[in-house]
Amino acid sequence: MPIDAAFDIISFTSFVVLVVLGLGVIASMMGIFNLGHGDFVLLGAYTVFVFDELGLPIWLGMTTAPFAVALVGLVLERTVIRRFYAAPIIAMLGTYAIGIVIRETVRGLIGGLYHAIPEPVPGMIDLGDFSVSKWRLIVILITVLVVLASYLLLKRTTLGLKIRASLENPGLARSAAISTGQIYALTFAFGCGLAGLAGALMVPAFSLSADLGLRFLIQAFLAIMLGGVGTFEGPIGGAALIGATTAAFPWVMNPILADIMVFVLAIVAIRLRPTGLFTKRRL
Amino acid sequence: MTLNPRGWPVILVLEVAVLAALLVMPAGLDHFWVIFVTRVMILALLAISFDLCWGYAGIMSFGQALFFGGAGYAVAVAARDLEITSVFVALPMAVAVGFVLSLFVGWFLLMTRFPPPIIFVALGTLTGSYIGQRLALSWYYLGGQNGIPSIPSLTVGDYPLYEGPEFYYMVLGLLLGIYLLCRWLVRSQFGLVLAGIRQQESRLTFLGYRVQAYKTIMFALAGSIAGLGGGLLAFHDGFIWPNSIGILLSTQAVIFVLFGGIGTLIGAVIGVGAIEYVGFELADRYPQIWPIILGALLLVVVMFRPTGLIGLLVPERERYGRFGKPPKNGEGDRDAA
Repeated sequence: MPIDAAFDIISFTSFVVLVVLGLGVIASMMGIFNLGHGDFVLLGAYTVFVFDELGLPIWLGMTTAPFAVALVGLVLERTVIRRFYAAPIIAMLGTYAIGIVIRETVRGLIGGLYHAIPEPVPGMIDLGDFSVSKWRLIVILITVLVVLASYLLLKRTTLGLKIRASLENPGLARSAAISTGQIYALTFAFGCGLAGLAGALMVPAFSLSADLGLRFLIQAFLAIMLGGVGTFEGPIGGAALIGATTAAFPWVMNPILADIMVFVLAIVAIRLRPTGLFTKRRL
Repeated sequence: MTLNPRGWPVILVLEVAVLAALLVMPAGLDHFWVIFVTRVMILALLAISFDLCWGYAGIMSFGQALFFGGAGYAVAVAARDLEITSVFVALPMAVAVGFVLSLFVGWFLLMTRFPPPIIFVALGTLTGSYIGQRLALSWYYLGGQNGIPSIPSLTVGDYPLYEGPEFYYMVLGLLLGIYLLCRWLVRSQFGLVLAGIRQQESRLTFLGYRVQAYKTIMFALAGSIAGLGGGLLAFHDGFIWPNSIGILLSTQAVIFVLFGGIGTLIGAVIGVGAIEYVGFELADRYPQIWPIILGALLLVVVMFRPTGLIGLLVPERERYGRFGKPPKNGEGDRDAA
C-alpha cells in the first residue's frame, strides 16, 4: 500500500520534527546541546498520563503539557543551566544528568511499565480507497503549524530578533539593552515547551515508558547534526530526512537492521559533511 | 580548598592505601564480598578507560561500554561455541576486540579532515553504544534480551578459575599492571603532549603534532583496557547481557569517573568503589531512588566540584602532575579543555 506507507512516513516524520524543533532552537539559538531533551519529551508525555489517570480529558493534558514542561525548563534554566553557558561541554554533562533525574523519577512514578494512552480524537477518515487515522492527521497539521509559528517568531518578530542577537553577539546585545539572561531563559523554556508538546502529542502513538525520550534523543541529535547547527532550517531538514528514513526503511528491510542502518548512515553523512547538509554556514 | 596545605604526595599515599586494602581484603571478607570487590575492580578498568579518554585525552566518550560489552560478547560467544576458555587466549582476545573496535570508532570519529566538534564525538560514541545495545537485544545469536547465560569458566591449563580469591587476585594483578602502565604513560612525553592538547589544541597543531592521531591512539588504548574489563566480567559473572554494552553502563562509567575525580587514575578507581558500594547498600532498600540519586550526584559534581572526590584531598598542582614547570592558570582552563 504505497499511500499507507507514505502516510505512515509523514506521520512519523512529524514526531521527529517536533522533537528536533525544540532541541534545535536551544542548540542553534543558545549553543547548548541539551542532552536531557529526550526527557523533557518524556515529561510532556507523562503530563498527559497524569491527566488521564485523574480522569481529566486527554486534550486538556495535551494543552497543559507544553506549559508545564516550559515551566520546569524555566526553573531549571534559572537554577542550573545558566551556570553552564561559559562551558558548553560541561553543559552536555549537566543536561544529561538532569535527563537521568527526570527519566528515573518518571520511571519510579509509572512503575517501569508501558502505559497506553488513547487518542483524544479516535477514528479514521475515509478518503476514497484508503483511510487514515484522524489523530495522526491532526498531529501532522499541528506540526506544520508549530514549525511555521516558530519560524515566524524567530525570524519576523522583535523577540526573535533579540534572541538571534543574543546568540550572535551577547556583549553587544547587552549593551543594546537586551537582557540576555532573560532571553536565554525564555529561549530555553520555549525549547522545553516544544519538547513537552512533542511528548504530549506522540504518547498515544508510542505509549508511555520511561525510555520514550532516549530513543528520540539520539535520532534528534543526529538530525540536528545532519542538517547543520546554527540555523532554523537545518535541523528541520535533518529531522525530515531522519524521520522519513526511519519510517521508510522497515518497509523494505528487516526492521532491526533498518533501525541500525539509519543511525549508521546518518553518522557517516555527518562525518562527510560536518557542517550539515542544509547549511552553507560554518559551525 | 584542599585539606592538604603541606604538599604531601597525596595521590601516592592514596594509591598505596588502596593497593594495600585490596591486597589484604580477601582475608577478612566472606565469599560474597570477595566477588563484589572483584566486580568493582573489573569495573575500575572501565572507569580507567573512560578517564583516559576524557580526563587525559579530552575525548568525550559517552559510549565506553561499547568496547567493554563488545569484548565481553566476543569472548562469551567464543567460549560458548568454540570452547575457548584458556586465560592466555580469551583475555588477549578480549583486549584485541576492544582494540579493534575502538581503533575503528576512534579513526572514524577523530581522524577527520577538520578537528571534529566535541558534540560529534560525544554523539558518535553514544550512537555506537546504542547500536551495540540494539544489536545485542535483537540478535538471536547473541541471546537477545537474556544475553548469553552460563558462560564456561576461565581455565589455566586444565584448572578452572572460579569466582573467588583466585579470580580476585588475577583481576587485582591485571588491574595493577594496567594501572602502572597508564600511570607511566600519562606522565611520559606522550602524556605531556596530551596535556598540551587539553590546554590548547590549536597550538599543539601549529607546533606540528598530529593531534587527532594522538587522540586516536589514546582512544584505542582506552578501548583495549575496556575490552579486557568486559572479557573479565563475562567470565567472572558467567553471563553477559545487553546492559553490559549499552547506554546505561556507558553512563555509569561517566558517573564513576566524574564522581571519583576526573584526570587522576586513582580517582577513577575510588569512584567505582564508592558508587558501587553505596549503590549496593541503597539499591537493596530503595531500588527506585538510587538511579535518581546517581543522576543528581552527577549534576552536583558537574556544577560544584568538577574535580570530584579526589579534588577534596589533592591540590590542583599535584592532580595536574609534573612534566616541567607547573602552569600558572587555574582549573577553569583545564576543565574546559
